[in-house]
Amino acid sequence: MTKRYLILEDGSIYEGEAFGAPATTFGEIFFHTAMTGYQEIMTNPIYHNQIVVFTVPIIGAAGINHRADEAIGPMVKGVVVREIAEVSTNRLQTMTVHEFLLRHNVPGISQIDTRALTRHLRETGSQKASIVDFPDDHAFDQLRALVLTNQEVQQTSTPRAYVNPGDGANVVVLDFGLKNGILRMLNDYDANVTVLPYNATLDEVLNLDPDGIVLSSGPGDPHAVPESILELIRTLQKQLPLFGIGLGHELFALANGVDVEVMPIEHHGMNHPIRELITNRIMYATQAQGYEISTSSIKGTDVFVTHVDLTDGSIQGLRHRNYPAFSVQFFPDTAPGPVEAVEPFDDFMDMVTVRRGG
Amino acid sequence: MVKEIVDAMAMQRALTRITYEIIEKNKGINNLVIVGIKTRGVYIGNHIAERLQQLESAEIPVGQLDISSYRDDLNEITDKQPLDVNVDGKRVILVDDVLYTGRTIRAALDALMDNGRPAVVNLAVLVDRGHRELPIRADFVGKNIPTSAMERIQVNVEEIDGRDSVEIE
Repeated sequence: MTKRYLILEDGSIYEGEAFGAPATTFGEIFFHTAMTGYQEIMTNPIYHNQIVVFTVPIIGAAGINHRADEAIGPMVKGVVVREIAEVSTNRLQTMTVHEFLLRHNVPGISQIDTRALTRHLRETGSQKASIVDFPDDHAFDQLRALVLTNQEVQQTSTPRAYVNPGDGANVVVLDFGLKNGILRMLNDYDANVTVLPYNATLDEVLNLDPDGIVLSSGPGDPHAVPESILELIRTLQKQLPLFGIGLGHELFALANGVDVEVMPIEHHGMNHPIRELITNRIMYATQAQGYEISTSSIKGTDVFVTHVDLTDGSIQGLRHRNYPAFSVQFFPDTAPGPVEAVEPFDDFMDMVTVRRGG
Repeated sequence: MVKEIVDAMAMQRALTRITYEIIEKNKGINNLVIVGIKTRGVYIGNHIAERLQQLESAEIPVGQLDISSYRDDLNEITDKQPLDVNVDGKRVILVDDVLYTGRTIRAALDALMDNGRPAVVNLAVLVDRGHRELPIRADFVGKNIPTSAMERIQVNVEEIDGRDSVEIE
């Protein structure tokens, strides 16, 4: 096995073994605590340009099958694991994780003490990291010189509009980085979906005569999104049912005068209980967030809180007081994750159906 | 044959949606009073009031409206029961389980007006099954269930029937 190294901006060095592509890679490192769904995590656009650490001790036992792709290929820049499974007996698999990453030129590193690494990252917060052949000064210089882009939405959004046809309601998805799960869910309701680039104009949206708008889950910093998008959201929410997910939720908040802050410890997993305030019901869902709604900034705005995370009290859902517009921080598309949190899609399609007069 | 068409979970969701719509339409819960039509409308009204309370941390009065003396299909004279909440100048959400011919709602409106002069009356129903005989419509509908007049719709509530569900027969 070829030795390779994971190095962090703060000078830490972790020795491991190579898998996937032999490339040198850079990115922001984060850890993910989910026990399942590694393929969905690696291909989720929200992790564009990042290096993922899986805390689950072994990944790859189910191989890769394209039904679990959340984008056209892996979105992460690197994969860090304790152990990578070499054998899979999953009859659905078309290739191994190693082959998948090799094909898409994404390096992985195994035999890393991911428990120690995760503890370290919890203390230091997310930072820049690199997977390299040798951890010399040159490698660290390169890593420290790296400037992370804040143009994630611009890089992941579709450059051109496209249609995902259906026989039902006419839904426009604004693509701030779109995971396949959202389209899959809308397919389940037979929606006729048009996906528009993040910088679509009001006319371009309204000319499609939509019955509802979805703000997709993104990657990146909500503050890096142009102000014109917030203005677009403010205009659209007055006239159409609107549903934001992930980054879309954060943008919905910003558009309505609520602040969004960087989280001290990011959420990447599916084991936090989320409470729906109106019924006191507890549910679990996939979370992938580095930003959170500022609780103190809600007062005096036209939105109210619908869901909170019970582990740290962070806001997980918002709703507009005067319009059929709402948003969730978590991923209700169940790819991967518990299926009990799909209701926001149901609520949205219900709003859309009411608008269509049916 | 009895068939369950809305299960407990879906029924809870429908009530949740109605609650959000009430907030949306009324721009908040100021001056709101819920009036449930006996018997099941009262329980459904209670569920909506509980939800409003969870969200807005304010107690919403729930009245029980007995419409038996206002019905147009009973000849026997029964005593009019006064409503147990004040509706004068209030934004009233009238709640019933099923909206069918509209005659119950007509009677309920008469009964309501005998008890005061509400600022606004909105109608919330769990099920709208169609076949109106009067020009009445609901402002908040949990489920639209198209039916034939031959069918029977039964709403069950936990408090009376031991389970939450909507059945068709």
